[in-house]
Amino acid sequence: MHKLSRSNRDKVQQFVAITGASEKNALQTLKASDWQLEAAFDVFYSQPQPRSNADVRRLEELYNRYKDQYSDMILADGVSILCSDLQVEPQDIVTLVLSWHMNAATACEFSREEFIGGLQALGVDSIKKLQEKLSFMRSELKDEQKFHEIYNFAFGWAKEKGQKSLALDTAIGMWQLLFAEREWPLLNHWCDFLQDRHNKAISKDTWEQLLEFARTVDPSLSNYDAEGAWPYLIDEFVEYLYDMSVVEK
Amino acid sequence: MSSRQNPEPMTIEEGCKLIDAAVTKLTRIIEGKPEPPFASHEYIGNYTIVYNMCIQKPPYDLSGQLYEKYGAIFQDYDKDTILPSIMEKHDEYMLRELSRWSDINKIMVRWLSHFFYYLDRYYIARSGNSSLTVVGMTCFRDHVYEKVHFNVKQVVIALIHKEREGQQIDRALLKNVLDLFVQNGMGNMERYEKDFEDFFLTETNSYYSRKASRWIQEDSCPEYMIKAEESLKKEKERVSHYLHSDTEPKLLKNVQTNLLVLVAKQLLEKENSGCSALLRDDKTDDLSRMYRLYHEIPEGLEPVAVAFRLHVTAEGNSLIKQAEDAATSGIVEEQVLVRKIIDLHDKYMAYVTDCFQNHTLFHKALKEAFEIFCNKKVAGSSSAEMLATFCDNLFKKAANDKSNDDSTIESTIDNVVKLLDYISDKDLFAEFYRKKLARRLLFGRFSDDHERSILTKLKGQFGGQFTSKMEGMVTDMQLGKDQQTGFEEYFKNTNTGKPKGVDFTVTVLTTGFWPSYKTSDLNLPLEMVNCIESFKAHYEIKTKHRRLMWIYSLGNCNLTGRFDAKPIELIVSTYQAAVLCAFNNTERLTYQELIDQLNLGHEDLVRVLHSLSCAKYKFLKKEPASKTISKTDSFEFNSKFTDKMRRIKVPLPPVDDRKKVVEDVDKDRRYAIDASLVRIMKSRKVLPHQQLVSECVEQLSRMFKPDIKMIKKRIEDLISRDYLERDTENPSTFKYVA
Repeated sequence: MHKLSRSNRDKVQQFVAITGASEKNALQTLKASDWQLEAAFDVFYSQPQPRSNADVRRLEELYNRYKDQYSDMILADGVSILCSDLQVEPQDIVTLVLSWHMNAATACEFSREEFIGGLQALGVDSIKKLQEKLSFMRSELKDEQKFHEIYNFAFGWAKEKGQKSLALDTAIGMWQLLFAEREWPLLNHWCDFLQDRHNKAISKDTWEQLLEFARTVDPSLSNYDAEGAWPYLIDEFVEYLYDMSVVEK
Repeated sequence: MSSRQNPEPMTIEEGCKLIDAAVTKLTRIIEGKPEPPFASHEYIGNYTIVYNMCIQKPPYDLSGQLYEKYGAIFQDYDKDTILPSIMEKHDEYMLRELSRWSDINKIMVRWLSHFFYYLDRYYIARSGNSSLTVVGMTCFRDHVYEKVHFNVKQVVIALIHKEREGQQIDRALLKNVLDLFVQNGMGNMERYEKDFEDFFLTETNSYYSRKASRWIQEDSCPEYMIKAEESLKKEKERVSHYLHSDTEPKLLKNVQTNLLVLVAKQLLEKENSGCSALLRDDKTDDLSRMYRLYHEIPEGLEPVAVAFRLHVTAEGNSLIKQAEDAATSGIVEEQVLVRKIIDLHDKYMAYVTDCFQNHTLFHKALKEAFEIFCNKKVAGSSSAEMLATFCDNLFKKAANDKSNDDSTIESTIDNVVKLLDYISDKDLFAEFYRKKLARRLLFGRFSDDHERSILTKLKGQFGGQFTSKMEGMVTDMQLGKDQQTGFEEYFKNTNTGKPKGVDFTVTVLTTGFWPSYKTSDLNLPLEMVNCIESFKAHYEIKTKHRRLMWIYSLGNCNLTGRFDAKPIELIVSTYQAAVLCAFNNTERLTYQELIDQLNLGHEDLVRVLHSLSCAKYKFLKKEPASKTISKTDSFEFNSKFTDKMRRIKVPLPPVDDRKKVVEDVDKDRRYAIDASLVRIMKSRKVLPHQQLVSECVEQLSRMFKPDIKMIKKRIEDLISRDYLERDTENPSTFKYVA
């Protein structure tokens, strides 16, 4: 949101206020209508979506079920109840996808807006409907573009509030989770390397570039360009692979 | 001129008979046979025959036929007389015949042209045919030259070969013959080139190729070069004597290629006499010859420059190795090494300016060679540090020993500046130099002139930024003197708080210029505290907005030690003085008591106590009397101490700051890299990784050679600090974030 100009930000807020749509949806619709509010309203209302007030109330009820006693957020306990309702494990990657749809700021926490907005974006207003959507959400991971977005989103989501970098253990856990969805043969070596040689937090740049590396460079490193703009850590990783004779130079 | 009015026009047959008779007479004359010369009436008569036949009315105007006749005369003469004469001779004799007959032909052409002159005037002009002269010469070419040139060429080349082998030949003859080749080209050089020059050059090629192979085996490099020079000289002479000047460049190129280019590698690398050996043994004449010979050849100097560079690099490397080997217990004799490198530089620069005529190729080779070995580490010391230490020792000695000639110091300073140019870590040098400069300025005597001189020269070479801090330091010392006078004035006038019996000097340093020193909360003896306070009071009057930070570690004191035997003046550092003064009130103090009383750090106290109780002079008695200080020791004033000297300087061994200096420089480099990266990206907005790195390296190359890995790390740091971002389309391109 902070990348938008002031007038556009205002438009988004206006849109949300009037239509009750989520911020994310508002952004998408406005962008698609070239930031013309009128046009965006047309698009929005012409979509066959159940966005009546009734839905919002049902969502609020749902929210209240999970929300924490003392603060206006769904916290860890609420999340685990949600997961058991959905009949998924809390570590299941689909929770990440769900969080992505909600544009959640931090793992294991959902604000009112995030929760309601996310479910609206998915077009569901009950647990049952959400459960039905689970397989769809899993399939989104197979889509190249969406996986990229979800992967990048995961960094901000998984890190501690107020920190710039992601703690190493969390990072390794996330990578193992994410790369279970798409095979990367060097994953284990990468994790070993980090624990062996690096032992510090992971920067955003390294996180994002790692996906690029996994995507474009083949496991024998035949097309790795040492003069390229890879982050320092990845260059070190390549050195490590050579040292450990995992790959021939 | 009478024209005979013949009633009957002359027929061609009649005319030809008369002409033939004239021709016969002419040939006899010009062949040197006994024959009376043409009388003038005969001469005129011959002309008239032709004239008349030309002006006869048609069908008796016989111009065309006369023209044919003219041609036929020559043809017959060439075929029947000239050619056979030449063909029956051999070798040199053939050449002479050819020469002779060519001359004869020329004369004949001249005479007959005169006889047939009328044709030239009217017939030829009207009909557009070739002139009489041309006809005559062309005939000679077609019927004589064409038939004999091959053999002639063989003879000529054989003769040239003879001359090359040292025999005398008839040069004038050759010149004539080769002129013939040229003439028979009828205006262009084709005949000369195709019929003679090409063969000549081929022959030359194989001749010199053979010579080269033999000489390169048998002769040393200088001998070979002398022979090569000789050969080139001789060939040049050959051209001036009988070859056509057009041949010169082709000939010289041919000889050079064979004698110099093809064997360059073997020649230059000859063991014991090649380029390396000549450089080593000061053979300036031979080297100058080498330059002269190879300078003529396009790109010929390159192998010589390479040999030069390799040799200088090897010499430099061996100096480094020697120093490395000689370095005992990790201490390098940098005075020796740096002097040797300077001498090496002078020696080889002399070669460049004298033998190699200041050619840029050699300047470049020298520079590259020095850059290679000047950046090597010797026993852990970088060249930057060694050079700084060298300067330090130079100036310390110069300040103490005034007898040293200023001009030698100046020239050494010049050499230092030159050497610094080759060192890539200039910022490291600056930092070491600064540290040592600080010590020189504060502790020893220094010569303001020398210090300023080197700074001016460094500024000239490397820019003001390089020397600004150091200049500030020297200026501070200057100002300090004035300040001290002000301080003393203050005492004279106010007479308050003047420390009794203590002479006190303060040097105020500007923080930014001087290296950073750590302060300590040393508890000074009372006398010293008074001094400090009074100076503070004075300073506060002068400047309200500045804070003084006292660095006791840099101070020194003169104390009088009242030993039993005699009082001795001790020149010690402030820390040492503080420790000693603690014994003014008590005879004995334990280590712990000293720590508590003085508030010094453990490391510092150990060092100080060691210098006072375990080193050369034992002013304090230590119990137990071991060689090292431990926390349970106790100390007592050694009243029994004495020495034949009345004044003793007790040095406090300095802490090894090499590591700290390197760390500081690394930190500065990180900032410099950051600044450079941001500057570049700010102006370019979008830039691919490769270019960013190479521009950054170039920008910083004046001060140091940045490590690529460090640059990468800094780029990542800048990304995380939101100065830069990667382009979403192409992650190896960066964008500036405003």
